[in-house]
Amino acid sequence: MIRFSDVSVRYPTGTLGLDSIDLEIPDGQFVVVVGLSGAGKSTLVRTINGLVPVTSGTLEVGDRMVSGAGKRKLRQLRAEVGMIFQSFNLVTRTSVMNNVLLGRLHATSTLRSLVGAWKASDVELAFEALERVGIVDKAYVRASQLSGGQQQRVAIARVLAQEPQVILADEPVASLDPPTANQVMRDLQRINRELGITTVVNLHFLDLARTYGERIIGMRGGKVVFDGTADQADDAVFESIYGRSLTAADVLPGDEEPAVSTDEGLAP
Amino acid sequence: MTTPTRSATSSTRPTPPSKWPHTIGLLVSLAVVILAVWLVDANWIRLADLPASIGNYIVLMGQGLTHNPLEVPWSEYWVLATQRMLESIQMAWIGTLIGAVLSLPLGFLAARTVSPAGVVFVTRQFLNAVRALPEIILAIVLIMPIFGLGPLTGALALGIGSIGTLGKLTAEAIESIDPGPVEAALAAGARPVQRMRWAILPQALPEIVAFWLYRFEINIRASAVLGVIGAGGIGSLLSQLFNRREWEQIGITLVVIIAVTILVDSISGAVRARIISGGGRKLAARERHDEASAIV
Amino acid sequence: MTSTAAPTRGPAASARPRKPAPSWALWTGIIAATAITIWSALGIEFTLAPLFTDAARGWFVIQEFFAPNWGFIFQVGNAWLETLSIAVLASLVGCLLGLIAAMLASKVTLANPVAHQVVKWVLSVIRSIPDIGWAFLMVAFVGVGSLAGILALVMFNIGIIAKLTSESIDAVDPGPIEAADASGANSFQRARWAVYPQVLPNFLSYSLYVFELNIRASIVIGLAGAGGIGNVLLVQLGRFAWENVSAIFIATFVVVLAVDLASQAIRRRIA
Ligand SMILES: Nc1ncnc2c1ncn2[C@@H]1O[C@H](COP(=O)(O)OP(=O)(O)O)[C@@H](O)[C@H]1O
Ligand SMILES: [Mg+2]
Repeated sequence: MIRFSDVSVRYPTGTLGLDSIDLEIPDGQFVVVVGLSGAGKSTLVRTINGLVPVTSGTLEVGDRMVSGAGKRKLRQLRAEVGMIFQSFNLVTRTSVMNNVLLGRLHATSTLRSLVGAWKASDVELAFEALERVGIVDKAYVRASQLSGGQQQRVAIARVLAQEPQVILADEPVASLDPPTANQVMRDLQRINRELGITTVVNLHFLDLARTYGERIIGMRGGKVVFDGTADQADDAVFESIYGRSLTAADVLPGDEEPAVSTDEGLAP
Repeated sequence: MTTPTRSATSSTRPTPPSKWPHTIGLLVSLAVVILAVWLVDANWIRLADLPASIGNYIVLMGQGLTHNPLEVPWSEYWVLATQRMLESIQMAWIGTLIGAVLSLPLGFLAARTVSPAGVVFVTRQFLNAVRALPEIILAIVLIMPIFGLGPLTGALALGIGSIGTLGKLTAEAIESIDPGPVEAALAAGARPVQRMRWAILPQALPEIVAFWLYRFEINIRASAVLGVIGAGGIGSLLSQLFNRREWEQIGITLVVIIAVTILVDSISGAVRARIISGGGRKLAARERHDEASAIV
Repeated sequence: MTSTAAPTRGPAASARPRKPAPSWALWTGIIAATAITIWSALGIEFTLAPLFTDAARGWFVIQEFFAPNWGFIFQVGNAWLETLSIAVLASLVGCLLGLIAAMLASKVTLANPVAHQVVKWVLSVIRSIPDIGWAFLMVAFVGVGSLAGILALVMFNIGIIAKLTSESIDAVDPGPIEAADASGANSFQRARWAVYPQVLPNFLSYSLYVFELNIRASIVIGLAGAGGIGNVLLVQLGRFAWENVSAIFIATFVVVLAVDLASQAIRRRIA
């Protein structure tokens, strides 16, 4: 359970990122957050793992208090909350395996991690994570040699290796072409269903939100302006979230269920 | 030419931008140069003799090369020059290694993206201070009194002298990495040291190692200077030979210096190119240029 | 997440790869570096023992250093002006010659492949002789004094400037060059109007860097009898006049730092 009670975030620049948010996300839910750029989607997601500090109100993740947590408590929280980024954020100069093992750092002593003496059980976890996203054959390839879709799947494996209770994804498909974007979204959905990990995904394409969101949260100006199921979120709702009529640019071009896989790394 | 036809829509022609800053800069530079010419106590007349005297000495030095290098004493000269050059390389290598080991942590301390502002400021001032001191002064002041004269003193002086530049370049390499992976490691609950080891170091290390090798090339040359005050290596030999005006042996020694230096430079350059490109690809002109700009 | 949950991609996903051995290039590198280190450490008889056993001996000299003869800094003011003048003149001549050499050393500006390879070789030779080596040679050629110092630094500067600048030239945007070719420019015009404007800021920045180096180097070459403060240093060292040597060092530090700061300020404005 993630619980926002009257949470506001004011950046040092004075911008109000979140404006008294009240929100409850039950365990295992797949939530999609939509809104125009600047609406506060990233801020919302980043408060959940403490990358952006809450300036007022209280935020709980499970039985942990995020608001007001110190460095140590934040690290313990982040160990349980994985995050996926728009730009993948892989260390491209090193192997896929080392990137996935980054997710095990929280459970590795400083000394062990300095010399890279990973525990066998951690390497096993990393392999399982890679198997789950279907690119275990690339384990010892340099991350820079992978395509965008493959890199994002490595990033998902890195998060899985953390064995998290919550997965946060900040526009995970914004840098991918439409078929790959759908595949990555399906991966996230499947992981959510198989492992029951609470998942919060920021998106700005309407059709992806409707297809994959079990619950859709619409944001505008740092406030939640819509909260409901995908069926309830018709065009009129989106127009109210976006504050304007919809255009072609709001919809991801291409199939939702492409017949042909363009990304050879993924099994059909 | 008649008047332009589209006067109605287009605005008036702009006046050329002021050239004053440019002109002032030039005038100041000119004044400095004139002052320097006036101040310097150079015997300009000797410049006229230069071509003739270069010719003379080149002939003298060249004679050293015409002798059979397998015959005594010429073989001994070749061997001596090579031994001393190798000693210079040893000095430069150990010096660079000391500089590398000491400058790596200092580079992290001096990187704005890693360390708090106060620490960065203090470290950067220290690095600037080291950079300002020529190696020879470090050798005389700090090291010679304790370690005496010899190649070890030379190596230590080169090592400490390298810290300034290497520390600064390391800090800059660290600051210019992609911050994304560092944030990802932070979001995965990694501790600061773990973020440095697994998110920062793998990104910055190739550049840093390339700078070490570049410094090694510089240190080979710098070791010659230390030799003059008695730190051994090729500098000591040169200094003795020029004092005794042994032109034939000087010719042999210079050839050894040139050959060994060019050989080491090209090996080191090839290794640097390979490290930066991560194997395979040749170093592109643009990257070589970026490297040069970083060093300056 | 439970690690027992079976991954669904079972049959389709391929088998786990083995961890590959480090590449031969990495192995060669590590072994070579270790071997060179051992060879060098033995060669120069590396030890840190004197730091513990002979610190007292050093302490005496260091104490002398803490009592610098401040008056001496100003007594040798002339030698300082001499050093600065040498550095200014050598930088000017060296950088101009270096710029010409750079134009000749780049494929972009000199189409003849044989010619630019020859220039490159000559430049490598010039660069491989250390600054102190040039100082010894020039003192022999034109006698003891500042002229030898200027000439030595000119050679030293040509090597550095030509290398850095020719790398900038190699990296210029080819667009304007094509434009110049397309409008029928000859190779000098092309160098002047399509290449030179692109490398000028870099060249100026390198020149100031060389000037910074020259301040330091002009002290060094003085040791070979090439004039300036280096000569004074040599005399005082020979007399073991530590209080004077110390004064020179403090002054060096101040001058070099001042020149570095000034030149970096100018470089920031150019860039
Ligand atoms: N680090 C920051 N410092 C100051 N203002 C920020 C920062 N990050 C975001 N903002 C501001 O907060 C508001 C919400 O931004 P964000 O959460 O990134 O929106 P979204 O992800 O929906 O595009 C915007 O007005 C943005 O300019
Ligand atoms: Mg955003």
